[in-house]
Amino acid sequence: MAAARKLGLDLTVASEQPSTLEVLQPEGLLTLDFLDVARAVEQARAFAGRHPIAAALGVDDDTVVLATAINAALGRPANPVSAAIAARDKAIQRERLARAGVPVPRSSLHQLDRSPESVAASTRYPCVIKPLRLSASRGVIRVDDPASFRVAHQRLRAILESCGAATATGQYLVEEFIPGYEVALEGLLVEDRLHVLALFDKPDPLDGPFFEETIYVTPSRHAVAEQAALIQCAAAAARALGLRDGPIHAELRWNEHGPWLIELAARPIGGRCSSVLRFGDGSVSLEQIVVAQAAGVTLPSLERAPGAAGVMMIPVPGAGRLREVRGIAGARAVAGIEDVVITAHRGQELVPWPEGSRYPGFIFARAPLAGEVERALREAHRRLRFRVEPATA
Amino acid sequence: MSATEIRITAEPVDQGRCKFLVDRPVTAGLRRFVSPEDAAGSPLAEALFAIPGITEVIASGNMVTVAKDGPAPWQVIGKSVGAAIRQVLASGVAAVAAKTPVSGGSRLSDDALYERVHDLFEQQVNPMVARHGGRVELIDVQDAVVLLRMSGGCQGCGMASVTLRQGIEGALHQSIPEVQGIVDITDHASGANPYFASEKK
Repeated sequence: MAAARKLGLDLTVASEQPSTLEVLQPEGLLTLDFLDVARAVEQARAFAGRHPIAAALGVDDDTVVLATAINAALGRPANPVSAAIAARDKAIQRERLARAGVPVPRSSLHQLDRSPESVAASTRYPCVIKPLRLSASRGVIRVDDPASFRVAHQRLRAILESCGAATATGQYLVEEFIPGYEVALEGLLVEDRLHVLALFDKPDPLDGPFFEETIYVTPSRHAVAEQAALIQCAAAAARALGLRDGPIHAELRWNEHGPWLIELAARPIGGRCSSVLRFGDGSVSLEQIVVAQAAGVTLPSLERAPGAAGVMMIPVPGAGRLREVRGIAGARAVAGIEDVVITAHRGQELVPWPEGSRYPGFIFARAPLAGEVERALREAHRRLRFRVEPATA
Repeated sequence: MSATEIRITAEPVDQGRCKFLVDRPVTAGLRRFVSPEDAAGSPLAEALFAIPGITEVIASGNMVTVAKDGPAPWQVIGKSVGAAIRQVLASGVAAVAAKTPVSGGSRLSDDALYERVHDLFEQQVNPMVARHGGRVELIDVQDAVVLLRMSGGCQGCGMASVTLRQGIEGALHQSIPEVQGIVDITDHASGANPYFASEKK
């Protein structure tokens, strides 16, 4: 919203649940059926008849598909809907990337109600099982042997059943675990060309069994040649999926065999984390870039502001109800720390991964060098104290 | 009182505005300052306007809302704001002087706007946000700027900014075009029962 305001654009926010004020402000607030793309497109078309739309922009994996369909239906410039779908669905993505020769983990698709023992017996280890459409690594579990596979399968099944019809495709993915370091690439596709907005290192090893994120730091400190190869891999993946324009967020790994594409999403990095990125003279946000491109207005600078920056997605300190967070002032006082934001509210139930997907908060840092940013984030986190009332059975 | 004992939590609203929640009252009532001249006689506002780029200061209870122009991020300016607040409070002087009543002119206009905004909130906005257990309270109108506080399901709600900017602000601009802006002085971080949780990542 702030980006649209800064660009002088009128905005309508569409959500799947009605805003209480939609009747009062029908041009600013719109309800769409996120579960039925065809119906949502017709709702958007009807809205556009009253209030002309320049572009639709999705903010998460599901709404990207919807926005792409709306843009296509309204004759606005858009990626192919099939490309947006491929970016959202892990199984389709794996198949399409593998067919195009992009290095991806070997994977197989299975029915949830198929006997996990039979899948476990035919699987190579270590492996990772994952749902097809959840985000933030929810439900993603590393499995090291057949004996553990059944337990992991039960957990994944329970997670999918708790999500309901929207995400329960009845299938899950089993793929090989790729060792090595991981990076996240934030990019903008402009007429098939990938502009790298940031390459984030993830200095904490993500070896499982669960894959909750921790620290992102940019610029990358990995070898220049490796960075270049990782970027080429992401660009090849975007091409293979059919994406031509718009933001991408890609997770990649590197080991002795080179780069691996773990996942690519046709959207920017989510939520609070985007504030770690500033462009031009430091006044341009990632959202301004994305909104400007979608609306067809002149793009602001795509050059990241000088210096290093990073964010820590604060790990869930334990299962239970959050009662208190102390040490925030001390964490903010660490040199290089820009902000500590606790997004969990008092009394909120904290759910660890793989069942959970919400971080209790975020720490932001900026410094001349990436190493300084990382140290600041870790020190700030060390100073925080969470009081969590354990969940009772 | 030592300045270092004063705890302040910064909550950026957007690039131009940030709320600073202080662990003790800064002022009774509410004061808004839009220039260094406005700030004369109020040590807190004077100290904040001395920081380059600061364009507005609102002090209400234990909340100080600061607006800035320019590209410097809150993560940088916030430290100076925090230091200024601590210094003034630690000095023991009254941080904010009482507002001098203004005869006629803008004060009458603000009173008239207050009535109209209050009616809009009570007759239209609040019956609607109550469906999600929320409430929007009109705190004051100063120089045609509406100051409000959200509570209940709105406080800390992941969609609060949408309700504010897309709903309330739009309704005000349509129904009461004399309103020049909205300032949300809610402490969203303290929301205990938000209708929608905030984002995942």
